[in-house]
Amino acid sequence: MLNLVRPKIDIRRVSKTYASDHGPVPALRDTDLAVKEGEFVSIVGPSGCGKSTLVYIVGGFLAAEGEVVIDGEPITGPGTNRGVVFQEYALFPWLTVRDNIGYGLERQRVAVAEREKVISRLIGVIGLSGFEHRYPRELSGGMKQRVAIARTLACDPAILLLDEPFGALDAQTREIMQDELLRIWLENRKTVLLVTHDVTEAVYLSNRICVMSARPGQIIQQFAVELDRTRPREELVLSNAFNDLRNEVWLSVRRQALAAGQGTDAL
Amino acid sequence: MHFKRISVTAVRAFVRVGPLILIAALWQLVCGTGLVNREFLPAPVSVAIAFADLFSGGDIAKNLLITLYRAAAGLALGTICGVWIGLMMARSEKFRAYVTPIVGGTYSLPKSALIPLFALWFGIGNVTAIAAVFLACLLPMIVNTYHGVITTPKVLVWSAETLGTAKHELLAHVFLRNALPDIFTGLRIALGFSFVLAISAEMIASTNGIGKLIFMFGENGTYDYMFAAIACVVVVAFLADRAMLAVTRYSLRWHESAVSRLDERRA
Repeated sequence: MLNLVRPKIDIRRVSKTYASDHGPVPALRDTDLAVKEGEFVSIVGPSGCGKSTLVYIVGGFLAAEGEVVIDGEPITGPGTNRGVVFQEYALFPWLTVRDNIGYGLERQRVAVAEREKVISRLIGVIGLSGFEHRYPRELSGGMKQRVAIARTLACDPAILLLDEPFGALDAQTREIMQDELLRIWLENRKTVLLVTHDVTEAVYLSNRICVMSARPGQIIQQFAVELDRTRPREELVLSNAFNDLRNEVWLSVRRQALAAGQGTDAL
Repeated sequence: MHFKRISVTAVRAFVRVGPLILIAALWQLVCGTGLVNREFLPAPVSVAIAFADLFSGGDIAKNLLITLYRAAAGLALGTICGVWIGLMMARSEKFRAYVTPIVGGTYSLPKSALIPLFALWFGIGNVTAIAAVFLACLLPMIVNTYHGVITTPKVLVWSAETLGTAKHELLAHVFLRNALPDIFTGLRIALGFSFVLAISAEMIASTNGIGKLIFMFGENGTYDYMFAAIACVVVVAFLADRAMLAVTRYSLRWHESAVSRLDERRA
């Protein structure tokens, strides 16, 4: 059931300061963000603005001031309701493709027969039939990221946290992966929080785009994206609506990046 | 083509044993010309005769088994304790604070210097030899395991947690798996130490074992037999090292280094 009243993810006044050799570095300051169930939200911003930090806090990997509430419950650490995909794939190098995808199911004591069914289906979905028994070192970057996504989807988390998932891929592979992600999302409508530095990617994939300010990060501007996702990529990307929005978001991010640059000059 | 491959293999094998044959030939030559006293440096031929004699008597096999037992027991105990201590050091700050000075202080200590003391505490025989081997194997295992665990990428731990790995499961499923390449590095070093220390302990404080045999032949001035016994140790230690390498290669077939090793063999 879709719950339209209560947000799926509620980030309330979250602040985070890192300790460093040169004194404390504020990464996030009083960040608020509410994500509805089934919504695909992207966070864009200049590099080093704390957007990854925000995702790590929602993941429960980093402690921070303020609170993150999921389904009305404040989080206390990592949980299986939040699946994560990292830029660096983070596959277990000692497990084969098959065992990587089945890892979470095994930890959660899912019966073998059910496990096998899920693994086989996902291997088909990511198009890696014939590679089941390869180790991650024998795969290309794009294949690794597909396995990482499948591994996360296998456990069927309600929320997907994606931290620059396609940042390490070449431009062509990245587009293919975006299309796959969009297709998967259109099928199951999970709640997604995507961090990216690629404005086109954000416009192509999300319902809403949040632009973060330079460090210490705060969400300073939001854009609603109302595009028909079922249209083919070429048509969508070449449309005026797409490009107008892309330019607007790009300008907003650029202003923040320039502000960050001036900030460092002043120091 | 088939013949070509055989001849290539033969040439490669000859290149490997070539230097050894050369040394033996030089050795024989030096002894033959009377440049050195044959009483002090027996010719390879007389060593070979002694070797055959020792083997036919069964003396060497019995003592070799005793030495192997001591080396293996010390290595096994040192590995189990070393891996455990290394793991604890990496995972508990308090434990690390206590253990680090002890490890640092004993790391470069020559373990053989403690054998007379051990003989005083544990008497002549098995316990003293095993204790010396244990202590020598312990340190490389601690240091390598610690390094392997401490270098576990955060994203692997975070991924494991969101996939439902309980805190107590992380050790076996992530940290130890990640440390395995380093643990094998430690094992190979420890294996070498185990032979050295078992034989040293037997020379000082034992009534049997191959170390005692070498010592006795040396005392009696039967240097051809002494060299034969040493040669025996060299062969066994070499075979043990090869066996360890084979186990390592199989256990780490998922590891990045496996690729370069395969290439090396093909080249």
